[in-house]
Amino acid sequence: MGIRVRIPTPLKKLVGEQDVILANGKTVGEVIHWLTETYPDLKDRLKDEQGEIRRFINIYLNDEDIRFIKNLDTPVKEGDQISIIPAIAGGGAKKRRVTLTFPPERIQEPVIYNIGQRYKLITNIRSANVTENVGWVNLEIEGEEEEYLKALQYLKEIGVRVEPVEKDIIE
Amino acid sequence: MKIIKSLKCKECGREYEIKPFHVCELCFGPLEVVYDYGVIKKGISRRDIEKRPKTMWRYKELLPIESEPQVGKNVGFTPLIRAERLGKVLGVSNLYIKNDAVNYPTLSFKDRVVSVAISKAIEFGFKIVSCASTGNLANSVAALAAEGGLESYIFIPHDLEQGKILSTLIYGAKLIGIKGSYDEVNRLCSEIAENYRWAFVNINIRPFYSEGSKTFGFEIVEQMGWKPPQHIIVPMAGGSLITKIWKGLKEFEKIGLIDEVSTKIHGAQASGSNPIVSAYKEGIDWIKPQRPKTIAKSLAIGNPADGFYALKTIRESGGSAEDVSDEEIVEAMKLLARTEGIFTETAGGVTVGVTKKLIEQGIIPKDETILIAITGNGLKTQEAVQNNVGEPLIIEPKFSDFEKIVRAKEN
Repeated sequence: MGIRVRIPTPLKKLVGEQDVILANGKTVGEVIHWLTETYPDLKDRLKDEQGEIRRFINIYLNDEDIRFIKNLDTPVKEGDQISIIPAIAGGGAKKRRVTLTFPPERIQEPVIYNIGQRYKLITNIRSANVTENVGWVNLEIEGEEEEYLKALQYLKEIGVRVEPVEKDIIE
Repeated sequence: MKIIKSLKCKECGREYEIKPFHVCELCFGPLEVVYDYGVIKKGISRRDIEKRPKTMWRYKELLPIESEPQVGKNVGFTPLIRAERLGKVLGVSNLYIKNDAVNYPTLSFKDRVVSVAISKAIEFGFKIVSCASTGNLANSVAALAAEGGLESYIFIPHDLEQGKILSTLIYGAKLIGIKGSYDEVNRLCSEIAENYRWAFVNINIRPFYSEGSKTFGFEIVEQMGWKPPQHIIVPMAGGSLITKIWKGLKEFEKIGLIDEVSTKIHGAQASGSNPIVSAYKEGIDWIKPQRPKTIAKSLAIGNPADGFYALKTIRESGGSAEDVSDEEIVEAMKLLARTEGIFTETAGGVTVGVTKKLIEQGIIPKDETILIAITGNGLKTQEAVQNNVGEPLIIEPKFSDFEKIVRAKEN
């Protein structure tokens, strides 16, 4: 376990397409340092020549701007979430396509309904195949990154496999 | 010779070719157009400019379009007046007003930025233009898109003033009201811009669009006899206009049209939406986002895109920043109307109100030249003053009835 760091879309390719990285550190500053040491390509993107966080990068600890707390000295603990968000690149709600593969014991459950009900997400089934023993669904999920991550956690907990779908497969 | 060289990140300096693109890939900073001032300096003089038609395009060398303007050929060169009666009330002797409440064609300074943005969008080959707007921009994009024969999709907070909604729809624009604040509209538009090949004037065309604001500053200087005023008071929403007025003055200095600029630039906001003023007063250089609540809806931006640069402009020029309450805004709108015969929108009330405050506080000395930037027209925000201007006296069509009310008034 450690500190969850959410990586914005434009930087994902520098960290092997990970949405979330589990990082270490006692303060936000230490976590960022750990990140830039572990993924050196991130360093130039997050910090300027003086080693300061770039002006148009905003950092949030559990949804609060760290400048409202103690900036890089803000203490962090296990289970906290840090988000790195570019100030003017927009973002927010977006559409993703994933394949869900259900284990046999979950086929009877209204899993997709639950995602829509429990999290602020809109789901749209694009194609599916469900039999007695196996089930998969190609799903479009629309909504804020944060809600999406919560849904992913839920799916993981109940044993549903989630894989990204390449855009061209469905249409 | 090529005058427009590239796009450059204002933060890290990385350069890009000219394309519809606004955020640095390296550091996420905003991009800005780079000109070859050496070439411009050789090719332009006060006399050349003075001979040209009285529109904002007389400063074309300092605008980022390659060919002739495609829309809005008559935009700009709005009146700059000496405001003696208002000056008397405020206790100052050298007060001026630059009046974009009568800008062509949609009665706000936004026609300046939009005519540049849409001309550029046409150069880039776009067929659809779009924007996130608090109203004035919506009107202008709708009108100038119609003039250019382009389709327009316009996104606004759903609870805007009726006047601004109607005067967008009339041009045949597709108007989408978002159940949220301007900042939410803007965020949604950023996302749409990533997925649709549209020219969002204030997103992917922003580096070009914002340059149009410089002409507000150019005109002030020229109309004051090539002598910039000692103080300019500018309303702030996203913080772009104030930044670009300052840039315009500095460019005139750079190409030798005027001597060293010593103008102080002051920023004005409504108290219910004052993220830039707050940062100025706290002495910090970053903006704490707010949830705006003010009648000055055209200024109701809680997370201003150019807030950092607006602060920088204020500090670099030696200016200041102040805000006024909704009541003060209404009073200032009435004051301007009743002393100078100019009906401005709420944003103009903010600027006049803040000017009054800064003079009272002694921040603006009473004997210096002061210019107030009026950027929009009061006919668009009638709701704001509806219950504050009195009512007509209704009488029968009889002379005696008329005399009764005249006498009542005299007593």
